Formats: sequence, structure tokens, C-alpha cells
Amino acid sequence: MSFDVALLFIQQGVASGLVTGSVYALLAVAIVIIYRTTDVANFAGGEFYMAAAYLAFFMIAMMALPFWLAVIATIVVMCIGAGLFQRIVLAQVALARGVAINLVIATLGLSYLVKGIVRSTGFGDTPRTFPSVVPDGSFTIGDASVSYLDVTILGAAVLVMALFFWVFNFTKTGRAMRAVGMNRRAAQLVGINLGRVEMMVWCFASAISGIAAILIAPKLLMTAEMGSVVTMAFAAAIVGGFTSLPGAVIGGFIIGITENMVGLFVSSRAINVAPFVIIMLVLIFKPQGLFGGALKVRKV
Amino acid sequence: MIKIFRTLPKLASAALLGALIVGPQAKAQAPAAEPGLTATTIKIGMFGPLSGPSMAYGFDVVNAARMYFDKINREGGIHGRRIEVVVEDDRCTANDVVAAVKKLVEQDQVFMLNGGSCSAPVVAARDYVVRSGVPWVMLNASGDGALYPPQPNIFGALSISQRAVGGSTIEFATRQLSAKRIGYINHDDAYGAWNLEAARFQAAQNGAELIVESINPAIADVTAPVLKLRAANVDAIIIATYARPAQLILKKAQELNVNKPIVIAVNAIANLRQLVENVGSREAFRNVYIQELLAAAPGSEKLAWVYDLYKQSYPELAAKPDHPQVYMPYGIPPAMVIVRALQAAGPQPTRAKVIAAIEQLNFDSGVMAGPISFSPTDRAGQKASIYFRFDGQAMTPVPGVFASRWTYQGQ
Repeated sequence: MSFDVALLFIQQGVASGLVTGSVYALLAVAIVIIYRTTDVANFAGGEFYMAAAYLAFFMIAMMALPFWLAVIATIVVMCIGAGLFQRIVLAQVALARGVAINLVIATLGLSYLVKGIVRSTGFGDTPRTFPSVVPDGSFTIGDASVSYLDVTILGAAVLVMALFFWVFNFTKTGRAMRAVGMNRRAAQLVGINLGRVEMMVWCFASAISGIAAILIAPKLLMTAEMGSVVTMAFAAAIVGGFTSLPGAVIGGFIIGITENMVGLFVSSRAINVAPFVIIMLVLIFKPQGLFGGALKVRKV
Repeated sequence: MIKIFRTLPKLASAALLGALIVGPQAKAQAPAAEPGLTATTIKIGMFGPLSGPSMAYGFDVVNAARMYFDKINREGGIHGRRIEVVVEDDRCTANDVVAAVKKLVEQDQVFMLNGGSCSAPVVAARDYVVRSGVPWVMLNASGDGALYPPQPNIFGALSISQRAVGGSTIEFATRQLSAKRIGYINHDDAYGAWNLEAARFQAAQNGAELIVESINPAIADVTAPVLKLRAANVDAIIIATYARPAQLILKKAQELNVNKPIVIAVNAIANLRQLVENVGSREAFRNVYIQELLAAAPGSEKLAWVYDLYKQSYPELAAKPDHPQVYMPYGIPPAMVIVRALQAAGPQPTRAKVIAAIEQLNFDSGVMAGPISFSPTDRAGQKASIYFRFDGQAMTPVPGVFASRWTYQGQ
């Protein structure tokens, strides 16, 4: 391989990896905020993402709603749906003093339910897309070709993540979420409504998944199986440190870029294996993830 | 005279003894009634994806086979017997295919099987069908894993085998596009390995170099394989994946300004209109060729009878958008094989007679690009394709038929 080709591979690999990585990052943030606040690993995260894409598709392509209206409506519906799931299912499971695994199984159940619903509509049987609001076309940065859609996806993803960080760190709601994540009992004692906060966390997470879906659907296409991308989001969260929001974002970009680098310099066959090799390496050398902080041991 | 009277008891005893010995054998040799046969009917067990994500690969293929059987029934049946079909939904999953086949053989007691639209799942049913001895003519599954090595009672690849897909696309790229360096994108599973095997064979025979990028069917970002083929300066790219990865590759090829001819194998074209819509830009189709297994363009005069028959048989379905589905006509040749074999087996058909008859079949279906041909050592029926230049809207036929030359060598 010549130097010029290697340089091209690096530039294009990073450019494309940042775009797919931004979607992994958004989904990883959605997973991490739920885990950090409620200790539930949400295995339905991929199906939130998939359902939002089909919902937006239905509103844009079938109902001919304006794009902006469809986006708002999708986010609202996702938010309400996830909030109701938390209130009706998870809160009941928790009330029954079920072990944590019961909550995880409940999310798995939701993922199958959502997938089944989308399949039953008939829309999920064929790969589909919906019109991108960004015009076709691309430009080059160095040797890398970057489409207008790529830039939009990356820019929007960064904006959404920044907005969420602001909410999480500098607003009363965000502080309540963090407090619940740190110590539920203490948060309750200082007057935080636990149920309301947990519902809002699920609502936020599904909204973020919905935004990720609307951004990426015109690029990666929609299928009923598209939620399997959540595996990459979990990989990103583990690499970044499962409780760290910046870690989830960095992890998403690392996974996205590494997939391309492995594909370009090792083998296309290894693309889907690469994230798991990274996870193993991280777990060996930094078990808490890159930004997971020091290991904490709870004594009884 | 006295001598006769003396010998009569001996003869009678011998005859009685002979009857005792030969009788049961003679009874055992009497033709037993084969399951699924009555004086007026022949029961055929059909299965295919009638629901689920792979429905486009087989729903209308099943419909096409049924309408052909109905046509034969209207014309008097086969040696006075009507074809009766029992249909099961296999959803293109291994578990459902095996369950469907077992039900059809054991509960419905069919005479023979006609089903399967997806390659990997049909392989799961292979061992059971071989043990059962029931003749099985696949629908449009390439089913290489069940056809190679040849099994005594399994016949398929009536549309094409994956090996023949690979061989034919390479034949087209080398003969028609004069490609010497060919980029080949396939799946990194058994399905991809099958088409790659014959692609490599044909490339070596035609003096071409193959640059292979094998990808996971669930891949999200196809930058790496497309960019590597662009950097390798290939003369043409062949995409032998399923629909979604193929569409991602076409989009990416446009983004990365790949200006070499792209040949899309038949596996990727479940819905041509959706393909164009998903890729999004007509510009992406500036140098694209698509593989077609039919004898002529879908909807052309040569195949008009198939589409007309579909409209007559399923008027409500035909009125819906996206129907008939792209692969619909592929259901006709398997039904033709069954009808011809049953006719050849005579008025008293047995499964063995039908299997022997299929082994001798060699005919032009008028539906597929190449002849349908089997032999005692070859269970894959059709090995040729035609090609169209496709600009995202119009299909311009490329003259000629491009066949795979790969043959099973007992590997």
C-alpha cells in the first residue's frame, strides 16, 4: 500500500467514522443516562431508534407532513411512549421488589414487542428510506469526500449532545436526575419526586434515540432489524465507561472510526468484530472504561 | 395314469409349499399406494415466505407456482389426476422451514414437496428430506448447501444457484465489460462463499483477477469495502449481497465518485423501485447493470402470459402496488418440472419414478434465461442470466446470455 493510499484511507476512514460514530454516540448517551439514573440496562434502546425512524417515515412519506412537524411529533410520541413504559411496566416491576434482572428482561420484552408491531404493519419488510432535507452533493476535506448529509448528521448530533449536557449539568431537572443517580434515598429525602424523574429520564433517552434515527435513516436505510445497532452503542458505552456521558460520546466516535480503520487496513470481514475486540482490550486494561473513573467498592 | 395319480399329491404339495414361500413375497412386491396419491388427486406440499422480512423473496413465487398448477388442472390435470396443494408459511427461517416440511410430510402426507425461497434455511431441511425419500423440487431458493453434494431426491436452483450467480456475473464482467480486475463484494457467510467459489473459478478461466471484499450482511458503514475497491483501480464492481447492503454500497460508490461499471447480482433486487428510491439519486445509476434470470425483461411480450395469468388468478393482489413482486415468475419453472416429471412417470406414479423422471429433464421453460436441465450428478437446474443496463428508470437489454461454467467436482 502506497503512502498516498494510506493517507486517503485514514482521512476518509475518520470522516465516515465520525458520522456513524455520532449515531453510536447518541444511542450510547441514551443508554448511559438511563443506566446512570435508574441502574437499568435498556436493551430496547435499538427498538426506540427503529420505531422512531418508522414513525417519522410514516408521517413524512405517508402523511406528507412537513419535515420539522414530523420530527417534533416523532419526538413527542417517543417521549410519551417511553414515559408510559417506565410508569406502567418498570415502576410495577420495581414495586414488586423484582431483582434488577427483571427490569432488564422487561426492556427485552419491549424490544420484541416494538419489533413485532413494526413488522405487523408490513413496512418493516423492505429496506426503506425517507427523503433527506439536505440536498445531494458532497465536498472534499483533504482527500476525504464528505456529503452534505454527513455534515448535517454530525453537526446535529453534536448539537443534541451539547444541549443534553447543558440540561443534565446546569438545569434543575438535570440536577435532579444526577441526584437520583447518586443516591435515590437521599434524593427522595430532599424532596425529589423519584417517579417523575425516572419517567423524564426515559422520555429524554427515547427522544435522543428518535433524533439519532431521523438523522441517520436517509443514510443507512430502515429495516425492522436496524435496532441491532444498539450493540455498537453498548460497545461505545462500555469503552467510554458505562456511567460517563462524555465517555459514551468519545466511545461512539472511537467505535465508528475503528470500524473503518479495521475495514480499510485489516479486512472488511473484521469490521463487525472490531468493536468487540476494543471492548475486550478496554476491559483488560481499564475495566471501568476510558472515562469510568476509579473502581468503587460498596461495603455493607 | 397310475404314475400321474402317484405324482399329483407331490405336485400339489410342491405347489402349496411354493405358494407359501412365494406368496408373501409376491404380496410384498405389489405396488403399495404412495402417500399423497388418490385416484383423482396428487397432493403437493408447498412452502415459502408468506410473511416476515423475506416475504418479497417468495410470496408471489408461491402464488405463481399455484397458478400454474391451477392452469394444469383446468386443462385436465395429469393422467386424470388434479394437483392439490397444501401451503405452509416458512418465513425464510430455518426453524420454520423444517417445521413446515415435517408437517407436510408427516401430517399432510404429501406425495412430493415444492418449496423454499431462501438459501440458508432450506439447507436446514436437507437431511430430513433425504431420510424421508420424498422428492423435493425447490422454488427459487438457490439452496447450494442442499444441492451440493447432489442428494438423491432434492432438486433446485430453478432460478439459479449461488455458484451460478457468481460464475455468470464474472462471465458478464469479463466478456461484456472487458474487465480484467474485478471488485467482488459478497457476504462473509456460507451464502457468500458459494457465489465466490464459482466467481473465482470463472475468473481464473477467463484470465481475470478478482479483488474480494466480504462484508457482514448487517454492516452499517460500507466506506471501507468501496474505498478499497476504488483504490485498487478495478475495472468493474460486482455486488452479490442482499438488498440493503447493495443499496448502501451504491450510495457510497456515488459519494466516493466511483465511476467504474457496477453489476448488481439478482440477490440485491427484491424491489427495483425501492432500490432506486433508497439510493436516492439517478446519478448513482450512471453506469449500473443488473442481472436478470428471466428469459426477457419482466413484463415483456415473451413473458406476458405469466403476468396475464397472474392478473387473472389474483386480481385483487395484482391491483395492489408492488405486485406482482419482482421474483414472481420464478415460481413457474419449478411447477413445470413437477408437471413434466409427473407426466413422464405415467398413470401409476411413484416417488422413485418421479425422481428418475426429473433426472432426465432438459427443456426450455421459455421463462428463464437458460435451459432447465438435470442429470444423475447435477441437481441445480438453471445456470444462465441476461443483463440490463439500468439508469434508474429504463432497462436496456444487453445482447447475449451469460452462463456459469462451474461444475461440482466432488469436493
